[in-house]
Amino acid sequence: MGMKYRRYLAGERIYGCSKCKTHLATIHSMISRAFNGQHGRAYLFDGVVNVIEGEPNDRQMTTGNHTVRDIYCVKCATVLGWKYDRAYEQSQQYKEGKYILERNLLVDVQ
Amino acid sequence: MRNPEPEPDSHSNLSSSYDFVPEAGPSCVTLDKAGHSNGINKENGYSTPVSNGTVSNGSSTMGNGLAKHSSSITRVSLPGTTLYDDPYLDREEFVRLVIQSLRDVGYIESAATLEAESGYSLEAPEVSEFRQHILRGAWADAEPLLIELGVTDADALLDARFLIGKQKYLELLEARKTTAALQVLRNDLAPYSTALEQDELHALSSLMMCSDPQDLRRRASWDGASGNSRRQLLDDLQHYIPSSTMIPQRRFSTLLTQSREYQRQRCFYHNSPVNPSSSSLFSDHTCDKESFPRITTTILEVHSDEVWNVAWSHDGTHLASASKDKTAIIWRIGLEAEPSSRDCIAEFILRDHPYPLGCLAWSLDDSILSTSADHLILLWNTKTGALMKTLENHAETVSALVWLPDGSGFMSGSLDRKIILWGEPRESWNDIAIRVTDAAVTPDMRRLVAVGMGYNPPPTLGTLARANVRDASPPTVSNGNGNAVGPRPQENRMIIYDLKTGQVELSVHMEGELTSVKISEDSRYALINHAPDEIHLWDLEEFRLARKFTGQRQGHHVIRSCFGGIDGNFVISGSEDRNVYVWHRDTGTLLEVLEGHGLGSVNSVAWNPRNKRMFASCSDDNTIRVWEAPVYAGELLRGFSISASEPEMIGKGKGKVKQPWAYNYGGL
Repeated sequence: MGMKYRRYLAGERIYGCSKCKTHLATIHSMISRAFNGQHGRAYLFDGVVNVIEGEPNDRQMTTGNHTVRDIYCVKCATVLGWKYDRAYEQSQQYKEGKYILERNLLVDVQ
Repeated sequence: MRNPEPEPDSHSNLSSSYDFVPEAGPSCVTLDKAGHSNGINKENGYSTPVSNGTVSNGSSTMGNGLAKHSSSITRVSLPGTTLYDDPYLDREEFVRLVIQSLRDVGYIESAATLEAESGYSLEAPEVSEFRQHILRGAWADAEPLLIELGVTDADALLDARFLIGKQKYLELLEARKTTAALQVLRNDLAPYSTALEQDELHALSSLMMCSDPQDLRRRASWDGASGNSRRQLLDDLQHYIPSSTMIPQRRFSTLLTQSREYQRQRCFYHNSPVNPSSSSLFSDHTCDKESFPRITTTILEVHSDEVWNVAWSHDGTHLASASKDKTAIIWRIGLEAEPSSRDCIAEFILRDHPYPLGCLAWSLDDSILSTSADHLILLWNTKTGALMKTLENHAETVSALVWLPDGSGFMSGSLDRKIILWGEPRESWNDIAIRVTDAAVTPDMRRLVAVGMGYNPPPTLGTLARANVRDASPPTVSNGNGNAVGPRPQENRMIIYDLKTGQVELSVHMEGELTSVKISEDSRYALINHAPDEIHLWDLEEFRLARKFTGQRQGHHVIRSCFGGIDGNFVISGSEDRNVYVWHRDTGTLLEVLEGHGLGSVNSVAWNPRNKRMFASCSDDNTIRVWEAPVYAGELLRGFSISASEPEMIGKGKGKVKQPWAYNYGGL
């Protein structure tokens, strides 16, 4: 795979990992604030950086069945949220390929 | 056949053409003491009519005696004007250069004989007169001769006189004849100086204040009347005098030096020192391709994950490696010339890194190894393998570690936009314009060259468009592929700083990602890896891109390169296609693509600073390869069948060192 530096974001508001401050996403790629995770409120993002994606598995959520992967911080390996691979309900398919980050695990960084 | 033909008329010309040249060095000694040509001829076992009529007149101007000597030489008349067929090789020029060389080394008799036999004289009498006047400091006698020597252009004449006047002035000052010096300044220099020379004149007049001759010589960067300054003046005056009139000093030697330099530049595999014993005028210099390190002689396999960097100790006996497996290893590479009898062992495995390692640097005396693991810098005792210190001053990944050439400490650069000079006192450059991805300091301590990602200040809202990302094949690591989260393309920069002041000398925008900087030993060039697929050689004196090296693959990974070999003659780089690439630095010619590493990238390379026929490379295949010239291994290879196949991989985790010279011949 080779060596890579972590990516750094630029923008009005940058969200980082609360544990190690690794850049994860900016407010410009946020789609929705109206999600819930295991630790309370969560955000849906169009794209995130510096995460490792785990193996896919199916989960029953309040909005139906989904295939998701946990996402981990590339530096400190904290589980930050998940990625939607597939939504079984047609109305939920807009989430496919998008990422959830838990608000309580995020911190504003520069 | 050439027909010698007597030409009695030429004798008088020849006699006047010869004169005593002070810089002939040994000549005056030989002739004054050795009883002249009779003695010389006996020594040489050389007996011709030449020896007749050579009379010592005991004076320092030996023209007369030698002129008589030449009277018995028969002038050889040759057709044409060239030496051979080459129209550019003028016979007269060639012969005059030979005469000059002969006289320089003291073969005065031979030179005179050649002058007589060829009918060409080294130079006109006024030239040597002029030279003597300058070397004796007889300025008033020298000046009028300038016109006779062909300095006819009015401006050139003024310039030449200015040079002479300046020397005269300095010598008077040196002799503490201030009044006379002042007169020279007023009468000889000031009236003729151009606007440009006004500044110099100003500087010259300020030298009046010098406390003593020593101070004067230092401040004027001038070595005094008894030093080399008059000879230097002659060299300077040479610019105004046609070279056919006054041949530049030691011209033959200059040409031969150029020839040697040309041959060296053309020698693509040049990797042995050009020393007096290995060079000959009789044959062109060329280095054997076989002495170039292009076969793997040792594979170091202890790391359990990708190896990202390697660095040699300054004494060339140890190699340090940095791995994704969160360890660094100090390897002892034995000095035995023959790889098979050499011991290569993992002396210390430095384990206490909480993150994968990126950088390595040996202190000047090799007693400390500094490593970087993410934002941490660790200092290790290389004799005991003990951790000495962990430095936590950086907030983001440390991407550059370099010990400073003056011994004052080391420098670290980081993606947190800080460069820290760890000396006494510690100096931190904060909030610089880039997130540093690598940095290096020139050996002369004048400059620091840093590369990195430009820091974009927050953009204004409304300029951003949301992009749709729908990645069909989910990657294991998401980098967002740029468009979803990076509102702008990443801007990359090379910045050249003045090391002492921290001032930016040059800041250049570059398109691709920059991952490595190395500086040439002469502090002139910076070698920079530039994605995609290019390595740039920047001229730090002229602030321009001097050359590009292409062939290697570099997309999104940190790939490093370095200079190598005698005089830093080669450029080598890792590559994402698992090969090592080698170029000739001065032409950019790709010399070798070395295969051997397994799948993934060759991440870094390092040339042994002592053994110029050895370098190391490290790869995603968890191994480090040591590359050497086939000359030693060649002996061994004869006893084995050579296979072009991949070397077999050694069992994982055994911590073995393998020496596959027998079956992995790089060139096949």
